[in-house]
Amino acid sequence: MSIRVTHLAFAFPKFSLRVDELAFESAKVTAIVGPNGAGKTTFLKCVGAVLPTAKGSLFIDGRDIALLKSRERARLVCYVPQEHDTTFNYSVSDFVLMGRAAYISPFALPSREDTRAAAEALDFVGLTGYADRAISEISSGERRLVLIARALAQQSDILLMDEPTTFLDPKHETEVFELVRKLAVEKMKTILVTLHSLEMAVQHSDQMVFMKRGEVVAHGKSADVFQESLLESVYDMKMKIIDWEGRKLVLR
Amino acid sequence: MSDLGMDKRFGNGVKNLSGSVDIPKSLIMISTVFAFILSSGALFPSQSQTIKDSLRRTVAVPLRVERILSLQPEITRILVALGAADRLVGLDYFIGRDDHLFKILFPGGTRLPVVSMPDESVNKELIVRLDPDIIFTSPTELQVSESIQRSLGIPVAALASMGSFDGLLKEIELVGALTGLGERAGELGRYFREKIRFITESIGPLDPEDRPKTYLAFWSSLVRTPVFYEPVQAAGGRNVADNLLPSHLGTIGTIITLEQVIKWDPDVILIQGSFLPRERQVTVEGVLADKRLGSVKAIKQRRVHYTLGFWYWWDPAGVLVESLYLAKLFHPEKFGRLDLEQEGNAIYKMFYKKPEVFTKLMRFLDFHEWTEK
Amino acid sequence: MSGQKNSKAKGLAIFFLILPLFLFLVSLSIGSYGISPHGLFKTVLSVVSPASYPDVPAAYRDILLRIRLPRVLLAMAVGAALSVSGASLQALFKNPLVNEYILGISSGAAFGAALSLVFLGRAFPPQVGGFVFAVVAVGAVLLISGKAESHFISLLLTGIIVTAFFSALLSLVEFFASPYVLQALFFWLMGSLSLASWKDLYISLPLIAVGLAMLYFLRWRLNVLSMSDEEARSLGVNVRREKMLVIAATTLITAAATAIVGIIGWLGFIVPHLVRMMFGADNRRVVPLSAAMGASIMMIADDIIRGLSSFEIPIGIFTSLVGIPIFLVLLKKTRKVWL
Repeated sequence: MSIRVTHLAFAFPKFSLRVDELAFESAKVTAIVGPNGAGKTTFLKCVGAVLPTAKGSLFIDGRDIALLKSRERARLVCYVPQEHDTTFNYSVSDFVLMGRAAYISPFALPSREDTRAAAEALDFVGLTGYADRAISEISSGERRLVLIARALAQQSDILLMDEPTTFLDPKHETEVFELVRKLAVEKMKTILVTLHSLEMAVQHSDQMVFMKRGEVVAHGKSADVFQESLLESVYDMKMKIIDWEGRKLVLR
Repeated sequence: MSDLGMDKRFGNGVKNLSGSVDIPKSLIMISTVFAFILSSGALFPSQSQTIKDSLRRTVAVPLRVERILSLQPEITRILVALGAADRLVGLDYFIGRDDHLFKILFPGGTRLPVVSMPDESVNKELIVRLDPDIIFTSPTELQVSESIQRSLGIPVAALASMGSFDGLLKEIELVGALTGLGERAGELGRYFREKIRFITESIGPLDPEDRPKTYLAFWSSLVRTPVFYEPVQAAGGRNVADNLLPSHLGTIGTIITLEQVIKWDPDVILIQGSFLPRERQVTVEGVLADKRLGSVKAIKQRRVHYTLGFWYWWDPAGVLVESLYLAKLFHPEKFGRLDLEQEGNAIYKMFYKKPEVFTKLMRFLDFHEWTEK
Repeated sequence: MSGQKNSKAKGLAIFFLILPLFLFLVSLSIGSYGISPHGLFKTVLSVVSPASYPDVPAAYRDILLRIRLPRVLLAMAVGAALSVSGASLQALFKNPLVNEYILGISSGAAFGAALSLVFLGRAFPPQVGGFVFAVVAVGAVLLISGKAESHFISLLLTGIIVTAFFSALLSLVEFFASPYVLQALFFWLMGSLSLASWKDLYISLPLIAVGLAMLYFLRWRLNVLSMSDEEARSLGVNVRREKMLVIAATTLITAAATAIVGIIGWLGFIVPHLVRMMFGADNRRVVPLSAAMGASIMMIADDIIRGLSSFEIPIGIFTSLVGIPIFLVLLKKTRKVWL
């Protein structure tokens, strides 16, 4: 499932995003990094069609996203937000079941098939025992996993995760990354994640995209593109990259 | 009274809130009380009598009222009947706009300013300019009277007959006394009592079973009924809703369930007909055709009629005619020779000194039943 | 899976779903006239074969068929309609503080009815004007707030503004109209089932039935729509279209109910909360149980009113008086998180 971006543009009153040419490979994990306000989330939302974009700017598997019906588009790409506002206290299983919305017509109820898909998704993230718990009563780390489970239930080949590890403790952070890797490898999903942590980004991703002020300044294989000079120009500060036991550490 | 804002003027003197009284503070208090007495004297110049209004408030009024603002149509009508119409300085919206009688008595309008609005608000500035000695209002519009009394210092009396002849007669007497037209008031009072006596004597003594059970459908609804309506009683009938609920705060209407009407099984149903035919929500035809009431005696015997009822309380002439009409309706054998139209015109002539008023009113309201011979 | 808890909840749910049927029968036996259950039974039979029961008074039949039956049916329909409407809009607006009148229906309907009484007189039933302007009010809200997919907050605010606007218009009409003409509006503004007759039901019942059916089938979708617009969109929902669908259905049933019985406060607000407290937030359960519970509560309230005295206490007052304390108790209980 390939993603190709061509002249993608989106404008807020005080900020505009503009990405000219960018392609993402299937079954790979791409980390999108950059300073705050660089447009990472906006970009992700555009790719996920959560924000509207013009025709001809986004192609998934050769199909123009802007021309697809919501249902069809959702079966291809899924945007996973960072947090969920728990206004209504759904159970975890009901919450994950909502991921099946693209496969259920508005006036219908979920089928047995849908329920099974949701249960499988929950199982994949390791939270089967949590099925009857209310989403407001689980930890935020577990809630993140539930959000991912819902995205899995949607069975779209492309997952866009917005800062999935921010505010998580190291253990949960690692869990999420392992999950992401598992998804790319076992389920052949194309995954884009926005991250703040450069070290995590370079360690866990195949490709990286650097953004600054609404534009892409660099992209490529993580190992290749992760250079001190690039980091300095993107973040406007001196950084030192240290190699340690095969891992890259960033000193600021 | 805003000019007595002592806190602001004598700030230092009253700051001491502990037990001890400062000399300046006591002086302030004395002078304030003095000022109050003086100013209240200025507000009530010839405060030489008090009256008790329908809400049992004691109101201090001048000995003689020359400038009258009546916001209570019943009182306005009484004033006209007494011949004190020239003392009116202003009217309320109802008389000014919706009253049938006034449209007949003053076909060209009265050229009096309208001071109130349907939402019970009043034009206070206009009232000040009109400078009335007294304001009459209806007990149901309590806030209006309180606020006027408070802010303008003009005495406000809340009066209403409340569906009783006694109440009406007391009003006539009171207004007569206030305007110095006691003689005319006495004349009207006697006339009224005489007519009622004529009715009750013509009917003679009655056993309760001989009084037709009557249900009154007032206020544009089948289920709103007055808990007291004396004309029915005077005419030898019985209001099924009599004293169902004690009247309070100047209202005598209540809402009952339709099943209750069926349970009462009235012999006669009277519909408030003072609404113009075009505006009637409840009509004789409508009630007769209402299948829900099919088992009620009044429907089966087709004894459903219009009556005048209240039209913002009473018109004293109207209520007399109504009593005659009801008496004829309930006990036709005792009033065979009664020519209602003739009697009606005579009564209206007595009160309002104009001929044919009753005939015109009947035509207005399309009450052919009342005028057919 | 806590099987025991589950089966208890299931039992409770079935109880609440059946309750309206039971209350329906009970309600038919309550009223000022006082018909014994035996008399009632004979009356029902006499309807089927009048010949076999000649001694059943005509009054019994009139009361049962023309007064009580339409009234109880109306209570059920209105109770269900307002509760489901409230539940659906709460989901749509992701805000449990929302009620079914939020889009301006109450003041639009009041204005429409008043307008009809003043200009069309008694020839025209004010309910039609009420219904029309209730829909107009919602239409105005949708139009003013721009694209329906815009932030739900602006829909809410626009609803408040439009409500205020039509209230002002109503005051204007009251101002110029003779108060006696508007007497008929009196009951209606307080909310009352006393005007219930078959004439009213012939049109309003089908409308309510259609709207309720729509929302019944949309009940799972409401879960999805109760997510933020972004989430809903990424889940593959045509947010704009489906929101309109829900708003159309809720407007239909609320306007139809309000046009007949007037403004009955708090029902559409309280009932969904009660249901969520007992059965969770899943709208697959909330919608039908809100309908059942709303119908039950209306019938009980009306039974109390009709059974207590010969007076007609407007039910709208009743639901407010009862609803507010319940709301406060609920508020206390669910301090932490909204259900």
